Amino acid sequence: MKEANEKIRKGLEVLGSGEDSKLLSHLNACVRCGLCAKSCIYYLSMKDEKLIPASKVDIVASVYRRYFTFTGRQLPGLVKARDLDDKTVTEMVDLLFGSCTVCGRCVKHCSIGVDIEYVVRKGREMLSVMGYVPSTLQSTVRSALNTGNNMAISHGDFVDTLEWMEEELQDEVDDPEARIPMDEKGKKVMYTLNPREPKFFPISISAMAKVFYAAGESWTLSTRMYDVTNYAYFSCHPDEAAVISRRMYDEVNTLEAGMLVLAECGHGVRSNRWESPNYIKKQFGFEVLSSVELMAKYIREGRIRTDRGALKEKVTLHDPCNLVRGGGIFKDQRYILKQCAEDFVEMTPYGTDNFCCGGGGGQLAMSEYNERRMRIAEIKAEQIRKSGAKVVAAPCHNCIDQLSQINFTYKLNVKVKTLAEIVADSLII
Amino acid sequence: MPTIEIEGNKFEFDGDGFLTTPAIWNEEVAGLIARYDGIEELTDQHWAIINIIRRNYEEKGMAPMIRHICKETGLKLRQIYELFPLGPARGACRVAGLPKPDGCV
Repeated sequence: MKEANEKIRKGLEVLGSGEDSKLLSHLNACVRCGLCAKSCIYYLSMKDEKLIPASKVDIVASVYRRYFTFTGRQLPGLVKARDLDDKTVTEMVDLLFGSCTVCGRCVKHCSIGVDIEYVVRKGREMLSVMGYVPSTLQSTVRSALNTGNNMAISHGDFVDTLEWMEEELQDEVDDPEARIPMDEKGKKVMYTLNPREPKFFPISISAMAKVFYAAGESWTLSTRMYDVTNYAYFSCHPDEAAVISRRMYDEVNTLEAGMLVLAECGHGVRSNRWESPNYIKKQFGFEVLSSVELMAKYIREGRIRTDRGALKEKVTLHDPCNLVRGGGIFKDQRYILKQCAEDFVEMTPYGTDNFCCGGGGGQLAMSEYNERRMRIAEIKAEQIRKSGAKVVAAPCHNCIDQLSQINFTYKLNVKVKTLAEIVADSLII
Repeated sequence: MPTIEIEGNKFEFDGDGFLTTPAIWNEEVAGLIARYDGIEELTDQHWAIINIIRRNYEEKGMAPMIRHICKETGLKLRQIYELFPLGPARGACRVAGLPKPDGCV
């Protein structure tokens, strides 16, 4: 009992610390008009009212009313206030972790600008400090906390893989001096990776190395802290997110790099660039760019040259939510594709109105909700099918995994590629 | 936990289609999962990959690096993706009966 009460106290502290006026405004502002329903891939796919984004706000708001308003405390039934009991917690986990990719599309469509995504994230934070993060997601966070990367790759295995990719690069550019520098101090760029690259899909490592080679960039990878992801951004545990963020910040400083360049990873870009200074309560003394922005800059400044006809097949672009809607990077990926591909076509809708692939918000890691994840993915499958494209470019490794599963499940017969791979194949060296 | 019936045999999988109890894995199970994924026949090359994944899992409790798979089998990266269209994680590791790896896979 005592333990249960302690959990509830911790959860409520997230709501009631009294410092978060934004949260209170947005909890109170939602009038549950339901306009957000048609924004949400879960509602659109399953047509269940519980899944409307406003319902997700409501469950958090109902707990707030129960403990922090006079009427809610005295007459909870009157204002539909809910105890933070097992039933509510189970429902919260299912709605906030299991039925939301935190894509933020509903926020864009809300007529009064309620930051539904923010409320969902606060709800997740409550569950997180109470210890109710779905076990598969927490296991990924734990791997990162314990080993420095979310796939528990050993230092030796990582170095071995980079050496292998360096050989591939040397073959590719026919230059035995071409390198993938490791832990070198004082370079202009410290680059990062999503651990799934070294573990299972290393082509994008040598591809980006080829781009750096062509640009004559001064760069390095860290072998200690290279993981661009921060899964605690999905589990919404502020202390764990801060530990991971601080490691990246410290490593840039240790290597005395001028710029942190984030690999093609939607949440990795958003968490490292926009959330990290808040997590660690420190302003960065170095520049932070996504590799998408950097590649566009190279082309614009003439540091690399690409063959505009290199990619002949029709290509479309998937907009990762955290990079585009949540990260403000919209033009550069389009500019890059137009410099490498003959036939680029947008999906409908696209840009900040694009649909999530279904794998965001940590969904890809949570086996518990796999069936739903593939069901909501039908929207993306149809978007791709209707585009008529044979190649789908996606500047996010998480989206790429989901898109590859969509490709298989919905028999789209397309190729899914990172931008670095497309640029590397188009380079004129 | 969904139970999937493959050719009359029932198997418990996690939501992602990875075996819930890796211990029940055997060669026949591998063949059944592979067919479910559209791989009609497991060739020697498939088996070379599966055996390395199994060995690594039994020794270290996790899937091997793709580097390790390529080195041991002498196969090119491209061949691995061709042999297992769902990739080394959701394809090969699943057929090899491993639990789902953490991270963006």
